[in-house]
Amino acid sequence: MPSTSVALTPGLASFLKSLKTNPIDTSIDNLISLLKRRQIHHSRSCATATAYLLLRVISACRTTDAAKLIERVQSVGRRLVAAQPREMVVGNIVRRVLGLIRDEAEDDREADFNLSEAGSESQPQTPRALDDPSESMYGRFEGSDRSSSRPPLSQPAPISMFSLLSHPEPELSLPGTPISASPSGRLLGHAPSKDIRAEVLEGVNEIIDELGQVDDQIAAYALDHIHSNEIILTHTSSTTVQKFLLKAAAKRKFTVIHAESYPNNHEATHATISGNSTGDDEILSTESFQKPLIALGITVILIPDSAVFALMSRVNKVILGTHSVLANGGLIASAGTRVIARAAKVHQTPVVVVSGVYKLSPVYPFDFDSLIEYGDASKVISYEDGDLVDQIDVQNPLYDYVPAELIDLYITNLGGHAPSYLYRIVSDHYRKEDISF
Amino acid sequence: MASSMSKSSEAAKPFDIVATYNELLRSDPDLTMPIAAIEALVLLLTHSPSSTISETLDLLEKSTAHLKKSIPNPIGLSAGTDLFQRYLITTLQRPGQLGPAGDFNAIRAHLLSNGRLFIRRAKESRHKIAAFGGGFVRDGSTVLTNGGSRVVASLLQKAADEKGGPSAVRFRVIYVLSPAKDTSAEPEGMETVRALRAKGVPVATIPESAVAYSLGKTDIVIVGAEGVVENGGIVSRMGTYQIGLLAKAMGKPFYAVAESHKFVRLYPLGQYDLPIEQRVIDFNTEEDITDGHKPQSVAHSSDVVDFTPPHLISALITDSGVLTPSAVSEELIKIWF
Repeated sequence: MPSTSVALTPGLASFLKSLKTNPIDTSIDNLISLLKRRQIHHSRSCATATAYLLLRVISACRTTDAAKLIERVQSVGRRLVAAQPREMVVGNIVRRVLGLIRDEAEDDREADFNLSEAGSESQPQTPRALDDPSESMYGRFEGSDRSSSRPPLSQPAPISMFSLLSHPEPELSLPGTPISASPSGRLLGHAPSKDIRAEVLEGVNEIIDELGQVDDQIAAYALDHIHSNEIILTHTSSTTVQKFLLKAAAKRKFTVIHAESYPNNHEATHATISGNSTGDDEILSTESFQKPLIALGITVILIPDSAVFALMSRVNKVILGTHSVLANGGLIASAGTRVIARAAKVHQTPVVVVSGVYKLSPVYPFDFDSLIEYGDASKVISYEDGDLVDQIDVQNPLYDYVPAELIDLYITNLGGHAPSYLYRIVSDHYRKEDISF
Repeated sequence: MASSMSKSSEAAKPFDIVATYNELLRSDPDLTMPIAAIEALVLLLTHSPSSTISETLDLLEKSTAHLKKSIPNPIGLSAGTDLFQRYLITTLQRPGQLGPAGDFNAIRAHLLSNGRLFIRRAKESRHKIAAFGGGFVRDGSTVLTNGGSRVVASLLQKAADEKGGPSAVRFRVIYVLSPAKDTSAEPEGMETVRALRAKGVPVATIPESAVAYSLGKTDIVIVGAEGVVENGGIVSRMGTYQIGLLAKAMGKPFYAVAESHKFVRLYPLGQYDLPIEQRVIDFNTEEDITDGHKPQSVAHSSDVVDFTPPHLISALITDSGVLTPSAVSEELIKIWF
């Protein structure tokens, strides 16, 4: 069995430690079981673990063929996602890595194409070199691949609306046949490329860096949103929110009302306020030691979740952390968030959600119920209460789905966005062919 | 080439774009208005021996204006003509084989020889939409829909197929039917109802007045659209707006299904801001009993449209994916600017 690192409590730290020494397949199994057992469960921890694992997978995959690399990453990604489908950041990171590989492969191929073009002007390499430029716009899965399969002519972005009128498809893909088998394989397959892995690895490292910096980048926007003497309501012990508040606290005086999010997160919430934070293994870097909010002179009022509505009329702004953000602008956050967002709506209080872009998932929530995870019922009623547990059905949902219309603003590491704009960020970060990899 | 032959044979009688357009729509019930318009323009080019770019563009512009004037509701159609014109201009401006450096005849030939292909693609985009939209129809859900939209029909039928045929149908449909123009004909949408029932999907048909009543039993609302306007709202058959309002009031997701060639450059500010004249509200001081009991020019729900503003729409299911209403303007900006 995978766990050679029994000395540590299984978690992110032990996983990262074992990653260096364990063989790659063991590491994959290890992460899968950690995800399944929920021993890694914060969004960022999952993202970090996935990114480091993929880094290893790519560096261990001795191939120069981008198509093979994509296949390998896809198969690992599929297993990870299957292990914990509700941890959407895992899929997000896999998609971004896949996008990286595709980008590199295409850059590579483009350069290659230029060379051959210069060499033999009259003799096109592929039949498609002669095609109408807009031809590539046919097919949602193909657009971006194709556009780079011909010499770069500084063309505008593909226009999907023209797909209807453009040139007929030559040979294999009749417009009728479903194009689910992405043509990238064919396209990337015969690229006699140099090793693209170095560049991909660099890209993955950038993603890892981004995961480390994301909170600070978001916190940089804090002063734009928190003003003097405001009353801010927040929920759970999200480090993103804490950093955001701390950043503002350095310059401004304000009051924080903190809902304690019983029963799943109240201990951590108490700790972030009072500063008695015990060693949290989920937090990676040593400098992420939190100064408690009160140390900076902010008035913090801790309230039970049930008091949210009563206090909402006094609140100027609600700032929330989230578990993951969905493509339609809705989000999945810890249970109780929807009540707060609803209450804020009733009182017309702005709701601001702080979230790293890595939490933004291209998944469309067709079925909200399936995204909600149920947790340990003993947190609601402990099993010592045997009589009661026997007779009642205790449920402890960990998450809430909050629809887009309850959110006023998202602040990501890229800035502030309206919920309706998120589709744009999704299309910037993930390639269409990877959405269902 | 076939076009040159038909040109010589039909040169005598002038090409009538309006008749061609109507004929196209009549001959193929599966054809949408924008596609029929594009087809009509392609046929127009076949019949006119223009060889310069500006001559062609001028001809297109004039015929488009004529066509729009002669059709009572040119909203859907103008999506097609605009798309065609933009495609032509963009292709001509772009460097490459079909650009100004290349031969104008090349692009002309491409358009002329591929008329059927455009139609086929337009129909195929429906299948694509059906594939995306399948995810919206969940097990055990009840879908409310209206009108005779072919896209919605294919989406629902595809969903019915996926769920494994007659034995394992797991969704139900509430179909809002509006009475047909003449009482003898069956209401639009009956065909879809029959097709769905044949696949074993339980379908209930309700009149428009029962929408609010039925929404409580509905999980999602899916409607078709005649045109998708710039702000992400939809222009659709009369009655869609009220379904949207009711769905919003009941908190049910409201999805519009449309091909991306139906995106039209129009920014209506309200119901009465559409560039068409509909005599829906017709004030009278006298009882209208002139001819039979059929008031003249009665606004019938299969002819008239209303505008559903974007805040009522949860998402647009198009052949370029599931879009939020605000994504529509971006697609349009891409082709115009």
